[in-house]
Amino acid sequence: MANTDFQVLVVGSGAGGAMAAYELTRQGIKVLMLEAGRDYNPRAETPMFNRNADAPLLGSGNKDKDFGFYDATVDGGWSVPDEPYTMDEDTEFMWWRARMLGGRTNHWGRFSLRFSEHDFKGKTRDGHGADWPIEYQDIASWYDKTETLVGVCGANTGHEDMPDSAPGVLQPPPKARVTELLVAAAAGKEGIRMAPMHRAVLTRSQDIRQKCLYATSCGRGCSIGAAFQTTTSLIPLAKATGNLTVITDAMVREVRTDDTGKVIGVTYVNKSSGENVELDAPVVILAASACESARIMLNSRSDKHPAGLANSSGQIGRNLMDSTGANLGAYIPALRNRPRYNEDGHTSNHLFIPWWGHDAQAKGELDFPRGYHFEIGSGFREPGAWVAGDFQGYGVEVKEEARAAYGSYIGFALRGEMLPNDDCYMDIDETVTDKWGIPVARFHWKWSENEINQVRHGLETAKKILTNMGAEVGALPDPEEAILKGGQIIHEVGTTRMGDDPTNSVTNQWGQTWDCDNLFVMDAGVFASNPHKNCTLTIMTLAMRNADWLAKQIKQGAM
Amino acid sequence: MMGDNANKNRPYAPSMTRRDTLKWVGIMAASAALPGLNACSSGAGQVKQVGATAGHWPELALKPVTAPGYGKDPDLISPPSQIWPRTLSADQLNVVAILSDLIVPAEGEYPSATQVKVPDVIDEWVSAPYASQQRDREMILPLLTWLNDEAVIRGGVSYSALALEQQRLILDDIATLNAQTPAAFERPARSFARLRALVLAGYFSSPQGTKDIGYQGNVAIAGDYPGPSDEALAHINQVIDELGLSAYSWTDPA
Repeated sequence: MANTDFQVLVVGSGAGGAMAAYELTRQGIKVLMLEAGRDYNPRAETPMFNRNADAPLLGSGNKDKDFGFYDATVDGGWSVPDEPYTMDEDTEFMWWRARMLGGRTNHWGRFSLRFSEHDFKGKTRDGHGADWPIEYQDIASWYDKTETLVGVCGANTGHEDMPDSAPGVLQPPPKARVTELLVAAAAGKEGIRMAPMHRAVLTRSQDIRQKCLYATSCGRGCSIGAAFQTTTSLIPLAKATGNLTVITDAMVREVRTDDTGKVIGVTYVNKSSGENVELDAPVVILAASACESARIMLNSRSDKHPAGLANSSGQIGRNLMDSTGANLGAYIPALRNRPRYNEDGHTSNHLFIPWWGHDAQAKGELDFPRGYHFEIGSGFREPGAWVAGDFQGYGVEVKEEARAAYGSYIGFALRGEMLPNDDCYMDIDETVTDKWGIPVARFHWKWSENEINQVRHGLETAKKILTNMGAEVGALPDPEEAILKGGQIIHEVGTTRMGDDPTNSVTNQWGQTWDCDNLFVMDAGVFASNPHKNCTLTIMTLAMRNADWLAKQIKQGAM
Repeated sequence: MMGDNANKNRPYAPSMTRRDTLKWVGIMAASAALPGLNACSSGAGQVKQVGATAGHWPELALKPVTAPGYGKDPDLISPPSQIWPRTLSADQLNVVAILSDLIVPAEGEYPSATQVKVPDVIDEWVSAPYASQQRDREMILPLLTWLNDEAVIRGGVSYSALALEQQRLILDDIATLNAQTPAAFERPARSFARLRALVLAGYFSSPQGTKDIGYQGNVAIAGDYPGPSDEALAHINQVIDELGLSAYSWTDPA
């Protein structure tokens, strides 16, 4: 076929794959990208400004469109037709998959928080989990480069949990809204500071993208490119070099190796025809998402790789982590009938609450390690399938209640760091295959006391802040009940972790597998821990850094 | 104050889809106040005293909706309409219309629920093949039957044939759901609460309802986001002050 003229084959077109392809093609390397889903063009397909009333069921979600009718995700979500996964008895795990060009970057929350110095050396600090093989200083400049390319708005605050970006890197943040001002004051009373959220949303136009127009939810995708997704930025920019070829509807079945165990290419299923296609490849980068890449590796067995490709450590699929999640919200009487104004902004948090507990942790005052942050849900949102209010009766009094209660609820969404544990992992279910005959992933999951204690602390803190705002919160739920399900925050990482030691990690710090020089992983599978700061910015930063390293290896003839 | 769409003498006229009609509804609602229902609230049977009825609740053998949904890759720019068959009968739709306008009557410049075709939203909703809508179907359809049964018990005719005041009397018994709700009315009250929530959603998501509730967004802004209005800022600063939180007020980073 015509696509044989490439030096690197990238599996996946989301945050990791597209950034790797961008960096390689920018440096003159020919790249072929395989994407398991369909081609997708946000410039033509994004329902910008469409009203909830114009959608079936007022835009509400269901098994076809989990996050609502207008959510950018197509052909994916909590379930993918004909592509099941299984779970161990007694456990529950939710696996969000995208099957579309750009992957999950088309609808992600765009929160873009740097990991900090202590995040990379958690084990050194508290003895849990694993250290990363890099320090913050190793990638600080790569964060700067990534933020500059992606376009991140926010501000440097000197907050202990938020490393500053280099001067001039961040774009100006939008002004705080009324509810955020109230939360800031109520949290301040507890000694907790808010900070401008860092979001991959342009507040200044750059390259082929327009600045935000402060309307229409980013989760739908963004036809003007203001809200970052690889389909309006990295992929078209990489294509413009002339060095990138993309094949969609190409579901990788396995990575093939020769008798010496070296990677020689991949076999993928052409989903349109159902045919298997074998491609030879000098170098393969897996960036299919943490669990999909691990699934491909575990399904790529050979004499040299009996436990799965590059799995001599036995760590592939282990160390699976998500973020913890829990929600607590309340009605704020003082916000009743508050003055109306356009509160859309960039349609998500302008301010949020970064983790404030480093001191308390150092003093041994907390019964859990690591930290969490709060995202705030509030605002005058476009009315949809749910109207807030305490309704009794009917008629004008009910309408008055709806108008009074509108915009008077504030919710706290906890997002925390979990530790890896032996009960949380994925493997292959040999008894179940997908439509293409590929054995499926099986999940095993159990929260530990660390996460439960963290959620309890979070609920109690949120209650204090809500109470400071005049809310009557009532009894808190048990943290065991309040904690969301494994996978539900869609931050799964760790299944092919990087490290310094080939016996307990899958790749080195460059994402290069210890067992195969020409096989790389550039998605969140390589994370050695899962700081609470959302994974996408760090996926992209590592992919840029490690693709740059790979490009140098190729140019030096080492590949 | 009910719109004439719910008039029992002029049964609710469903549309293919509410979404097709919102454009002309906007024009219609802006033009004039519509006649109230008082003129047509006569002629139904006598209503018995509240409390004369024992608890009853119809056990409907509802067939699950098995129509396909819109799938995982629908056209988002021009959403599909009339995806699954509507399932409400003319009588059910008429009862929904009467309830819709009792819940959201016309008010000043704003239309009633039926004037923005909320019953079509409800019909689409309870006819949808998805799990949460099927649960609502199992709550709301028995309510519609219960209202007819209750109307027959009290007045000897169906609910839509009752006079408006008599329709209201029945609704008064089920429109409040709390610890004092009599056991006999608990199930219909629970179902009515769900229907009320859906009617409110259908109304406030319409262009007129969105204006009514005061949503000002979904407007492209050329420059930077302007932030809160002076009035909104003054209000929140007063709230912060009254809560004793002024000392902790937010200041933008330098």
